[in-house]
Amino acid sequence: MFELLALHIPDGFLSNWVAALCWLPATAAVAIGLRKSTAELIEPRIPVLGVTAAFIFAAQMLNFPIAGGTSGHFLGAALAAILLGPWVACVAMAVVIAIQAFLFADGGITALGANTLNMGVIGALLVGYLMLWTRDLLPKRRGAFLAIAGAGAWLAVMAGAAATSFELAISDTVPLGTVLPAMLGVHALVGIGEAIITVAAVGAVLATRPDLIAVRDLTLRELGRSLPTPTPEGA
Amino acid sequence: MSVGCNHMLELTGLAGDPASAIHRLDPRAKLMGLIGVTVVAVSAPFSAWPVWIVCACVLAAVAGTARIRPRVVWRRARVILPLVIFAAVFLPFVRPGGETIEIGPFTMTTAGLETFAGVSAKATIGVVGAVLLGATTTFPSVLRGLEALRVPRLFVLIAAFAYRYLFVVVDEVQRMRAALASRAYRPRNLRHAGALGRVATALFLRTYARGERVYLAMLSRGYAGSMPQLEPLSFARADAVFLALVVGTLVPARVLIGAAV
Repeated sequence: MFELLALHIPDGFLSNWVAALCWLPATAAVAIGLRKSTAELIEPRIPVLGVTAAFIFAAQMLNFPIAGGTSGHFLGAALAAILLGPWVACVAMAVVIAIQAFLFADGGITALGANTLNMGVIGALLVGYLMLWTRDLLPKRRGAFLAIAGAGAWLAVMAGAAATSFELAISDTVPLGTVLPAMLGVHALVGIGEAIITVAAVGAVLATRPDLIAVRDLTLRELGRSLPTPTPEGA
Repeated sequence: MSVGCNHMLELTGLAGDPASAIHRLDPRAKLMGLIGVTVVAVSAPFSAWPVWIVCACVLAAVAGTARIRPRVVWRRARVILPLVIFAAVFLPFVRPGGETIEIGPFTMTTAGLETFAGVSAKATIGVVGAVLLGATTTFPSVLRGLEALRVPRLFVLIAAFAYRYLFVVVDEVQRMRAALASRAYRPRNLRHAGALGRVATALFLRTYARGERVYLAMLSRGYAGSMPQLEPLSFARADAVFLALVVGTLVPARVLIGAAV
C-alpha cells in the first residue's frame, strides 16, 4: 500500500521567499502557544504537552485505505486542538513536526515553517476556534459537539492541503491549476478518514474523561489558562 | 495495514564510529553545519549543479570522517526519499515552460525537467544532511544544541518529554495494531476508520496516565524543571575549525558559482 505522506514538504520544493515567509506565522503561533501554556505557570503542562506530542506522533501510524490501493493516515491537528485548545495545540503539533524533521529527515529543515503552518497551525486554530465559537450557538448536546468536531477535522485537512498547494504554486514549482485540484481531491478523502477518527476519538474521550477536553469548558477568554490536573488512573 | 512504520524508530540513533571527530563535535557546530549546507543548497537557483556537487562533497567528507557507511545513509534516507522523488516526478509533465518533449501520450517540458532535477537534488541534500546529523548526534544532544541556539527552552523541554515517551508510545500503538489485526480488523474502506478513533482514544488515555505517573515519579526523585547535565556543552577549537571548513567551502561556492549560472 502506498502511503500518502505528501503533506510534508521537503527541502527545495519552495522558493526562498515562500519558505522564509512561512516561518513568520508558524513561529508567531508557537510563541503565542508557549506563552499561553506558561500563563499561569502550571508546570504539569510540560509533560502533558510532551506526551500529547508523542501520542500524536504514534497516532499518525494509524493508516486507513482511501482508494486505489493508497492509504492515508491520521494527522491529529483537530484532535490536538480539541484536547489542548487552539494555541497550545500549535505547540504540540510543532514539536511533532520538528521531531519528524530532525529525527527522521521527514520534511525539510528549511520547509519546517511551512510544514508547521500547513499541518499544525492552520488546522489547530481553525478547529479550535470553530469549536469555541459554535459552542455557544448550538444546543449543548453531544451530537452537535461531535458534528462540529468532524466538520472541523475535514476542513482542517482541506485547508492544510490548500495552503500547501498555494505555497507550491507561488514558489513556481507547480501550476496552481494542476496542484490544487489534485491535492484537494485526495485530501477530501483523507479528510473524511480524519473526521471519522476524530469524531470516534472525541466521542470516546467524552464518554470516559470529559474533563480532558479543553475546548468544552473553557471560555474564549480563559483559553489556555488551565488544563485540568489529571487524576491518577491505572493505564 | 502496512508495517513500514515498525522500522522507522530502529533507523534512528547513532551510527558509524562513536569516537570519531564528527561525533565528538559540539551539537551546535553540527546543527549550524547542517543548516548551512541545507540553506546553501536550497537557496541556489535551479541549474546550479556545481553548488550542489560542493554540498554533496561536504556531506560525503562528513560521512567519511564519521565512518558512516553509504549503506547506512541509504537505509535511513530510503524511508523518505522515494516519497519525495515520487512527488517530484510529476513536475516535468505539469510545469509549463521551455521546449516540449513528446514521450508517447505524455508531453514533458524542459523547464519542468529542470525543476524536477533541481528539486530532487535539493531535497536529497536536505535529507542526507539530516540523516548525518541524526547518525552522529543523539537526539537529546540535538535538543541541547537547539536550546543553546536560542530555541525557546519550553519548546525544547516539551520536545524532550515527547522524545522520552516516543518509544513506549510507539510500542503501545504497535501492540494495539497487532490486537486489531488479531481480531481480524482489515479496513477496506473509509467507513471502517471509526475503530481507529477508539484506538486513538485508548492510546491517548494510556499515554496521558503514563505521562502523569512518570512525571510524579520524576518529581519525587528531585526533578526541578531540568535534567542534570553531566557534560556541559563546550564550543571548542575543533568545533570552530569544523564550522570554518564547512562555511569556508560552501559560502564561496554559493557566491561564486551560484552567481555565475
